[in-house]
Amino acid sequence: MTFKQSLLGTWAISVYTWREGMRKKTLIGFLLLSLLVILGSTFMTAFMTEASIGENLQASADTKIIKDICVSAISVFGILITIFISASVVPTEVENRVIYTILSKPVRRFQYLLGKFIGVQLIVIINLVLMTALFFVALLIKEGVMPTLLLWSALLTYFQFLIVSAFTFAISCLSSSPVMPTIGGLFIYITGNLTEYLKDVSNRAASGEGFIDSILANVAKWLYDILPNLRSFSLRNEILYLPANDPPTDVMIPNLIAYGLAYGLAGYLLAFWLFRRREL
Amino acid sequence: MSTVIETTNLNKVYESGMISSQEVHALKDMNLAIQTGEIFGYLGPNGSGKTTTIKMLLSLIFPSSGEIKILGRSDIASSEVKGKIGYLPEGAYYPDFLKGEEILRFYGQMYGLSGADLESRIDKTLEIVTMTHARKRLLKGYSKGMRQRIGLAQALLSDPQILILDEPTTGLDPLARKEIRDILANLRDEGKTLMISSHELQEVELISDRVGIIYKGVMQVQGTLDELLTDRETTIEVENMAAETEQALQGKGIKVEDVTGPNALLHIPAAMSLYDAIDECKALDVSVTSVAPKRETLEELFVRTVGSASQAEGVA
Repeated sequence: MTFKQSLLGTWAISVYTWREGMRKKTLIGFLLLSLLVILGSTFMTAFMTEASIGENLQASADTKIIKDICVSAISVFGILITIFISASVVPTEVENRVIYTILSKPVRRFQYLLGKFIGVQLIVIINLVLMTALFFVALLIKEGVMPTLLLWSALLTYFQFLIVSAFTFAISCLSSSPVMPTIGGLFIYITGNLTEYLKDVSNRAASGEGFIDSILANVAKWLYDILPNLRSFSLRNEILYLPANDPPTDVMIPNLIAYGLAYGLAGYLLAFWLFRRREL
Repeated sequence: MSTVIETTNLNKVYESGMISSQEVHALKDMNLAIQTGEIFGYLGPNGSGKTTTIKMLLSLIFPSSGEIKILGRSDIASSEVKGKIGYLPEGAYYPDFLKGEEILRFYGQMYGLSGADLESRIDKTLEIVTMTHARKRLLKGYSKGMRQRIGLAQALLSDPQILILDEPTTGLDPLARKEIRDILANLRDEGKTLMISSHELQEVELISDRVGIIYKGVMQVQGTLDELLTDRETTIEVENMAAETEQALQGKGIKVEDVTGPNALLHIPAAMSLYDAIDECKALDVSVTSVAPKRETLEELFVRTVGSASQAEGVA
């Protein structure tokens, strides 16, 4: 089989994964809920304009509320969709035996996983684009300027999702049900957002003199080094406090993209390493 | 005739238990040889190792020891070998949101098929499984038999030399079973080699050239139906049989059954020739109305084989 024919098979798996994934009721539920929250926040601030505070102050407070709710909605529902879909695509196919019909054909495991992974990324990107588009329109109407900062934020949010998705996907390659990888994905997301605390713990423990302190300092340092720092992908404060058409400040976007890609690739390679000899 | 699928001393051992690991032998020294152009019925009770064997042939799981050769090649996970095998798993799911031809297009791309080649293979395969009329319909509107035929179609897409089918007729109504059976017989006539794992013994008996019965990971018997179904018996229907005649016949070792007035059914023991039995009847003034040779069924062989393997295991 030629390289081009292999690519065709991989792409077919990706498209099938995307089409099947977009029909999952849980995913549709999360997406609808997020869109409702984003729409609802605009509606809620319309009520608040009747409050008796200064007009300028009121407009600024309204916008901040919309931004706060929408950024949170994209972040929470986006990560739930990412974890849910990354955790379920492989175990579901093992359970319903579709995987047998695919891997019994001239499809290598690497190729199969790549197709599934690309399919998952298509789902994550489409959902993120839908949520961001709605938020974008709401901000455009409210502020009257192009909210370009939001686009930068969405780009970085995707790379944050990519990291969580890749490692959740890797765990799912070992599992026969989506439960364990979902828990694993949530764990990665939460710890990835708390890595700054690990640095703190490491520094404090290192200043102690006991044996336990030394071990704790090393473990915390090791975890800090190995775990992805997901918080650095967030432009939440910039979106809340800067004008919507400002460029992002103090953020090295190319570095973060490279960082996200490196962790995404590591997650995918881990998935392949775990899956290559898995008994199905 | 050449060997298409060959396993030599194939073993599969699973480790179970987290603390004190125990070994479970799913397959023990399996030697299997399936020839070109035959239908091989692979039989065994649940959990006997049928699916384990099939999964190893397809590289879905890996042997603990032993060798597998498919089409004379040991690199069974290679695209070249896999491209020549079609597989229909038991109870596989096919997405409801796709049309019949769309699902085949998806699977066809796995073989690297595209464009006119792919479309012509889809047309041909749908024709073989007689599903051309339903190609534009969504799978959610398909009956169980139609789904099974689409499953068979995906296995046939690459025009494979070998077909491995896991329970191809289970859960189908008699008409659908007959249709599938006819399709499989046609494929054999075209020169394809079929390995059918099934619980439907009557179905297997109707179309298989050779069968193998596996129990607890060990191949118990393997051969053609003529070789294996050796337990033969002849029955004679008689009339004008008096009460005292029955005892005389039984004294000669003939079993008398279904006595209805002067009519009865006589079972001739294997040691006695049919002519001797008829002579005995004549001597006792009993009229023979019909003679029916009866061969052991596959079901009887299965029960006998599994029963004695189970007993031997109990003794051991």
